[in-house]
Amino acid sequence: MQSFDLALRQLNGLILGKPVAVRLAVTCLLAGGHLLIEDTPGVGKTTLAHGLATVMGLDYRRVQFTADLLPADILGSSIFERETGGFRFQPGPVFAQLLLADEINRASPKVQSALLEAMEEHQVTIEGVTRTLPEPFFVIATQNPAEQLGTFPLPESQLDRFLMRVSLGYPPREAERALLMGENRRALLATLLPALDGASLRRAQAEAAQLTVSTALADYVLAVLEASRRSGRFVQGLSPRAGLAIIAAARAWAWLEGRDHVLPEDVKATLPSVIGHRLVPLEPGVTIEEEVARLVMHVAVP
Amino acid sequence: MNADAGRRVLPVLFALLLVVTPLAWYLPFWVTGVFAGLVLIRAALVWQRRPLPPRWLLVLALLVPVGFLWLTLKTLVGREGGVALLVLLAGFKALETGGLRDWRVLLALGFFLAAMPLLFDQSPAAAVWLVVSLVALTWAMARLAGNPPRAGWRQTATALGLSLPLMLVLFFIMPRLSGPLWSMPPSRQTAVTGLADDMAPGSISRIIPANTPVFNVVFDGAPPARRDFYWRVRVFDRFDGVRWYEAGTIREETLQLLGGQPYRYRITVKPERRRLPVLDYPAENAPDPAQLQPGLTWSSRRSTAEETIRLPAEGRSGARLAEALDPARLAHYLQLPPGNPQARALAARLRQRSADDRILLRGLLDTYRSQPFRYTLTPPALQGQIVDGFLFGSRQGFCEHFAGSLAFLARAAGLPARVVVGYQGGRFNPDGGFWQVRSADAHAWVEVWLPSEEAWLRVDPTATVSPDRIAAGAESALPVLQPTVPVIGGAPPAWLGRWRQMAEAWSFRWQQWVVGYDADRQRQLFRRLGLGDEVSAPVVLRGLAVGMLLGMVPLLWWWRRRPVADPLASGWMAVRRRLRRAGIALAPSDGPQDVLGKAAGLAEADRIELEALTQHYIDWRYRGQPASAAEIRTWLRAVRRFRPRQRAA
Repeated sequence: MQSFDLALRQLNGLILGKPVAVRLAVTCLLAGGHLLIEDTPGVGKTTLAHGLATVMGLDYRRVQFTADLLPADILGSSIFERETGGFRFQPGPVFAQLLLADEINRASPKVQSALLEAMEEHQVTIEGVTRTLPEPFFVIATQNPAEQLGTFPLPESQLDRFLMRVSLGYPPREAERALLMGENRRALLATLLPALDGASLRRAQAEAAQLTVSTALADYVLAVLEASRRSGRFVQGLSPRAGLAIIAAARAWAWLEGRDHVLPEDVKATLPSVIGHRLVPLEPGVTIEEEVARLVMHVAVP
Repeated sequence: MNADAGRRVLPVLFALLLVVTPLAWYLPFWVTGVFAGLVLIRAALVWQRRPLPPRWLLVLALLVPVGFLWLTLKTLVGREGGVALLVLLAGFKALETGGLRDWRVLLALGFFLAAMPLLFDQSPAAAVWLVVSLVALTWAMARLAGNPPRAGWRQTATALGLSLPLMLVLFFIMPRLSGPLWSMPPSRQTAVTGLADDMAPGSISRIIPANTPVFNVVFDGAPPARRDFYWRVRVFDRFDGVRWYEAGTIREETLQLLGGQPYRYRITVKPERRRLPVLDYPAENAPDPAQLQPGLTWSSRRSTAEETIRLPAEGRSGARLAEALDPARLAHYLQLPPGNPQARALAARLRQRSADDRILLRGLLDTYRSQPFRYTLTPPALQGQIVDGFLFGSRQGFCEHFAGSLAFLARAAGLPARVVVGYQGGRFNPDGGFWQVRSADAHAWVEVWLPSEEAWLRVDPTATVSPDRIAAGAESALPVLQPTVPVIGGAPPAWLGRWRQMAEAWSFRWQQWVVGYDADRQRQLFRRLGLGDEVSAPVVLRGLAVGMLLGMVPLLWWWRRRPVADPLASGWMAVRRRLRRAGIALAPSDGPQDVLGKAAGLAEADRIELEALTQHYIDWRYRGQPASAAEIRTWLRAVRRFRPRQRAA
C-alpha cells in the first residue's frame, strides 16, 4: 500500500496535473490488465508509460510500431548458430514484463493481431513451439487517434483486449507552467526509483482480486450492462467480458482507496476508462465520454 | 435529440394515421391529406434519423392550411371547423415532437382524436373503428415504453381488458344529457331531432330514424282508440311552393269544440322549440305553463327549452272543431303560390264532378288510392314543381308528401285547408303503465274546412296509402329495414337481402340501445334495478366515488404495512428522501459515498448521524457483513428518526 503511494507520488511528480489519469493507469496495472493510452502527440503518453515501468520495478522494452514491422520483430525468431549448427531462439521484446507498444495503430494488422494474441493468451507460439511469457506481463500501448493517414485503427474486438483506455489531455495551466519551468522530463525519468517489484505487484494484484463484491454491487454492474444494451444509444451493448473488466478495475480502484470492499463509486470512477473504448455511440456528433456520462447518470445505484 | 425514442415512435405515427382515417369522410378531403402527409414526413425523418425542421418554419407552414380552412369553412370552431383545426394541429405537432414526453403528449392527442369521428357518425362501424383505434394507440403506447411488439400486444390486451368493465359501468351510470350524449351543434341547419318550424319534403322523415322518446302520457281512465292518437304540435297555414309554414297572421279564432269524448291525461315532455304536443283536440283553457296558440296548439311559457315539464291536460277525442271563417280567413286558407298546373287541373276536374264538398273531399282522397302510391322513408328527391312531381311522377313519399299534396289539392279545389304536424300513435308500456311517443311517430296530416258544415275535418291521406301506419304505428308500417341504397342491376340475391336485413336490424338496435341510451332510459334502468326514482345518475356517480375512496383506505393500510422485499434498500431510499427534503440534490446515480459527500453541508449532529447510518448500510450491503434482523430493525428505527437539517448559514 505504502509502496503504491510512493509510486503514485513519483508519477504525479512526472506527469503534472493529471492525478486521476495516473491513478487510473496504476489501477489498470493493479487489475492485471493491459493499458491503452490514447492522445495527441506531446502530452506525455510515452513519459507516463516509461514512468509506470520504472516505478513498478518491471523490466520493460519499448517497440516503436511502424508499417514495416513484422510479427517476428516483436515475438522473436530463431537464428541459425554456426557454433552449434542449430537454431537458437532469439526472444523478441514481447518477452518482457512490460512491453511499451508505441503508436500501435501504425503497425500492420498482422503485427497487431500477433501482439494482441500474446496479450490475451500470455503465451506465444513461434515456429510450432509455444512459449510462456513472463509474469507479470503488461502491454502499455499508445496511439494517436487524430492521425488517420497510413494507420490501421484497431477494431473494437481488439480494443476489447485492453482493460482500460486512458487519455491524458492538456495539463491545467498551473501544471503546465510548472512543466515549462521544471526539469527535463527525460532527466527526471532517470531519477525515478522503483517503488515495487514484480513480486510485490503480483501480491497486490492477488489482494485486490479478493476484494468483496456484494450482490448489490453486481446488480449495479448488471444494470450498467443492461442499460448499455437497451438504451439504443450504442451500436452494440457491453459484453459479459466487459462486465468482468468493470469488476476487476473497480476492485483495483477500491484497493488503492484502501478498502476491503467495492462500492458503486469505484465502478463509476473507473467506468469511463473501462467501457469507453468498448462502445460506439449511435448518434453522430456525440462523443463517447458524453454518452458514458449519460449512461452512468441513468443507472440508479442500489 | 429524438434518438431517445428511436424508431419505437413509428407505431405512434401509424396509430395516428389509423385514428384520423374515418375523418376523411367528414372533413374537407385535403385536411386529412395534409395530416397524412405531415405524419408520413415525420415517419421518414424518424426512419432516416434526420433532424426536425426548424420551428419557425412549422409555424409559417401551419398558417397556410389554417388560412385555407378558414376560406373553405368560414369558421374554425364548431364540429367541422374545430375537428379540422385539431387534425391539422396534431399533424404539425408530430413534426415538432422531440423527446419521449412530447411523444406521450402526441399519443394523448391521438386518444382525443379517436373520439372525434363519433361526432359525425354513431353507427356500429364507427364504434368498431374506435375499438381498432384504441388498440392501435395502446399498442403504440406499449411500444413507446420500449416493449417488444409481442409483449406490447399482451400489455394492450391486458390494459384494454381491465378498463372494459369500468367503461361499461361508466356507460350505464354516467349522467346523461337529454338526447344523445354527443349531440353537437351541427355545422349546417339540419334539425336532427324534433319537429321543425316548417314542413318540406324530407323534414319529417329525417327525424324518424333516431327514434328517440319524445313524450310520455298517462291517461286517467281509459284512453281513446289508438287510431285517434293524433298529437298536434304545429299548424302550418302557408305554402310557398316548397315549404308549409306558419304565416303568423292568424290571431283571432272563433273555435268551438262540439261533442266528442273528454279525456284527462298527464303528459311528460321536453318541449321542442317550446311547443307541446296535445291530443286532438285540446281544451281551450291551457294549464300553466302551457299557452294556447293559433290552430289550437299549445306552447310552453318556460324559456328554458330543454327542461322536462309535466302537466295535466284535458281534451276531447272525436269532437267536431267548428269555426266560422270570415272571408279574409277563408282567402287565407285558400291561398296558393303559382305553379303545379297538373295538380290544379286535377283539382278543378274533381271539383266540377263533385256535387258537394264531402264528395269532393272523398274524390281528392281517392286520388291516392287509385294510383300506385308508396309510403317510404326514402323517397326520390323532388325538384321544381314538387306537388306535380310527387302526384304524377315519383308517387313515393312520406307523410309530409301526402299531407302537403293533399292540402294543395284541397286549396286548389276551393276547400280551405291546412297542414298539421305532430305525432300519431304511441306505444303502451305495460311496465310503466304509460304511453310513449317516439320521434318515429312523427306525422303530418291535413285539416280541411268544409263550408257546408262550418267545421275543420281531419283528413289523413297517409292512412289511405298505408293503413298500417295509423293502425299499428310507424314501426310496423315503416320500412325501417328497407335498404337505403338502391341496388343497381336487378334484384339482389336472397342471402344478401337477409344479411342486409340483419345488419339493419343490428344498426336499429344499436341506435336504440347504445346511441339512444339517454337520461330516460337510464332512469328506466335504475328503476328496473330497484333503485327507485330518487336515485339519479349523479347520485350513483357520487356514491361510486365515495365507494372508491373508502375502498382505498384498506389499500392504503396494506400499502403502509406491505412486506418490504428489501428492508435495507427501502431504508436507504428513506434516508435519501429525507436528505432531499432537507434540500440536498441527490441523483439516483449517487452511491453512498456520493451521498455523504453531497451532505457535507448538514448540521454537525445530523452529519455524524448520517455517517453512522451510511457506514452500516455500506457494511451490510457492500461489505458483505451479515446483519441480524434485530440490527436492521434498530437501523430502520434510526432512519425513521433521522430528520436532517442543513447547517444554519
